Amino acid sequence: MAGLELRAIRKDYGPVAVLKGVDLSIADGEFVVFVGPSGCGKSTLLRVIAGLETVTGGAVTIDGQDVTRVPASDRGLAMVFQSYALYPHMSVYDNMAFALENMGVAKPEIDARVRRAAAMLRLTDYLARKPGALSGGQRQRVAIGRAIVRDPKIFLFDEPLSNLDAELRVATRKELAALHAEIGGTMIYVTHDQVEAMTLADRIVVLNGGRIEQVGRPLDLYNEPANLFVAGFIGSPRMNLLPAGVDAVGALTLAGRALAGVTPGAQLAGEAVTLGVRPEHVGLCAAPEADATVAVDLVEQLGGETFLYASGQADLKLTIRLDGQVGVGRGDILPVRFDRARLHVFDAAGRARPLGLAPRSPA
Amino acid sequence: MTANHRNAGTTRPAAHRNRQHRSPEPMTSPAPSAAPVRARFAPFERLGLALVRLFDPPMRAVQRLVGVGRMPYVFLLPNALFFGVFVFLPIGINIVFSVTGGTALFPSQRPYVGGQQYAYLLDCGSYLEPATCREDHFWRGVANTLKFTIFQMIAMVLFSLAAALVLNRPIRGRGFFRAVFFFPVLLSPVVVALIWKWILQRDGLLNAVLTTAGGEKILFFVDPGWAMFWSVFVSVWAHMGFYTLILLAGLQAIPRDIYEAAEMDGTRPWRTLVRITLPLLWPNLLVVLVLVLIRSVQVFDEVFVLTGGGPGTATMMIVQYIYTTAFANQVQNFGLAAAASVLLGLVLFGLTLLQLYFTRRKAA
Repeated sequence: MAGLELRAIRKDYGPVAVLKGVDLSIADGEFVVFVGPSGCGKSTLLRVIAGLETVTGGAVTIDGQDVTRVPASDRGLAMVFQSYALYPHMSVYDNMAFALENMGVAKPEIDARVRRAAAMLRLTDYLARKPGALSGGQRQRVAIGRAIVRDPKIFLFDEPLSNLDAELRVATRKELAALHAEIGGTMIYVTHDQVEAMTLADRIVVLNGGRIEQVGRPLDLYNEPANLFVAGFIGSPRMNLLPAGVDAVGALTLAGRALAGVTPGAQLAGEAVTLGVRPEHVGLCAAPEADATVAVDLVEQLGGETFLYASGQADLKLTIRLDGQVGVGRGDILPVRFDRARLHVFDAAGRARPLGLAPRSPA
Repeated sequence: MTANHRNAGTTRPAAHRNRQHRSPEPMTSPAPSAAPVRARFAPFERLGLALVRLFDPPMRAVQRLVGVGRMPYVFLLPNALFFGVFVFLPIGINIVFSVTGGTALFPSQRPYVGGQQYAYLLDCGSYLEPATCREDHFWRGVANTLKFTIFQMIAMVLFSLAAALVLNRPIRGRGFFRAVFFFPVLLSPVVVALIWKWILQRDGLLNAVLTTAGGEKILFFVDPGWAMFWSVFVSVWAHMGFYTLILLAGLQAIPRDIYEAAEMDGTRPWRTLVRITLPLLWPNLLVVLVLVLIRSVQVFDEVFVLTGGGPGTATMMIVQYIYTTAFANQVQNFGLAAAASVLLGLVLFGLTLLQLYFTRRKAA
């Protein structure tokens, strides 16, 4: 169990900079998820922590000790690979025992630890099998078992669920959450799936283009994205990002009309900004109080909730989430209103700007 | 819900694109660039068409005659004929020679002697002591071949394994070194033997170096031990590139992430070699072992050119014995040589079955 400190981590492959200065500290026992689109550097960052990649600049500190130049085998971390990377010629038991043998742990102790992990992961009946004779989910559990028998300082997970089918992925996600609750331990988890990130993480690190966009608790990122990228990345369906303006007195204008009661401030006057509003914060309303009027292009009825995809004047595209089942059809014209307390405004550089509103619900 | 949503979105387009890509391409690609290409290949096209016109009518006639289902055999026939004339027929003739006696060349003039040639070859006081055998040269050849095979197998596997392990690492100039190790394989064994003969003979390069350095000349081809050593050495030098290549292919087939997992597991290099690399390479190693075994039992040309079988009979291998008995001795004893060939053939047949078994098991 240990904390981790990253300072100004840089990684270049020749002329290509993959990590452009990453600073991050992770507390002991924390479950941190790195999330971001493909190629954002999240896997590389994990491999840098693991010691499988050397850094071009910066320092990695584990428990106050600088391990930047320490090889992976001496860092005492455990990793679950996307491909599982089980030893194909060894039984499940030997796969889990291998690292302990390397550490010179006594045979009875190895046996006890392997059996305890196997019981925890429901692998006891498969200990004598080779990985080739296991299903995807079982292999996944062996890979996790191989990590937990070692009682490592930090667990590293590299997209561990991406090779599982949808149902198994949801089940394994729950098991991982339960596992963290049971054994504790610092865990760093890489995924491109924001649902995994939202459900598993104590803290999410959103990466984009080799930089950290925002770090925070899942709901903080959801409620208060620091910039356009995070706003668009976290949440599904995506937040509606609408081109907007600010008039001379500092009030927000959408499609040329002032949005009553939203005043980003006079310092943004005349600038093009982006208005962000999540699908669930758009509601149907009576025509007089409408912020916009849209025509429904597509309706997705999911039973418990309904998604409307609609468009309005001046290329306005809106996704609307409504509770329950709604009697709306394609082509219907709807007046909609945005929940004033839940709006986001981003300036031309993509940074979130405070809104001149009544204070938002506590973060 | 969103999890599968996203995943399906990332994986499907790739597969989709591939599938779509393949079918329209052959249709669209000839159109824009076809004209100049076609002009350049026009003579070949005319030649090809002429050939087609020449062979098409008779082949059609044959097809009408035998039916479409039997056409593959028609195509196999030419090769089968060559194979029969140059492989199966000689094997048959060889067996006939091995059960007849005398010095006559034509089987029709040779008296039938049954198993006498074999009996003569196998007549020994003790099989462990070649000198007690009636045909002691044959057994000397067997003993030499055995000795050669054992040493060569060990050395070949060790050196090619070491070379493959080194060449599999990210070293500088790796491509160059891979080529260098493979180069001797391209040479004729006779050329290899001649090169090393010039180096090792009494007034050869190595002795020149030794005397310049103040040492004494060593007569490598006069000492039986040295002669056998250099036979093995030259043979390993000449062929190890081939086996290195097989092992290198095997090493590269081991996924990188398994090594990364081993690294995360804190595995020391030696233990990685013994517990990860060698077990995963084992199917390839078995194939190499059996291939080396087969080749070394058959060894002839490089050793014969290098040492001539000497000193005395110290490096005379079975194949050389067969060659000498049949063609090089003053009395050409075809029958005895044929019998020895059949025995050697049986051993090789067994080894080949072994190799097929291992190859098949590796594929399974």
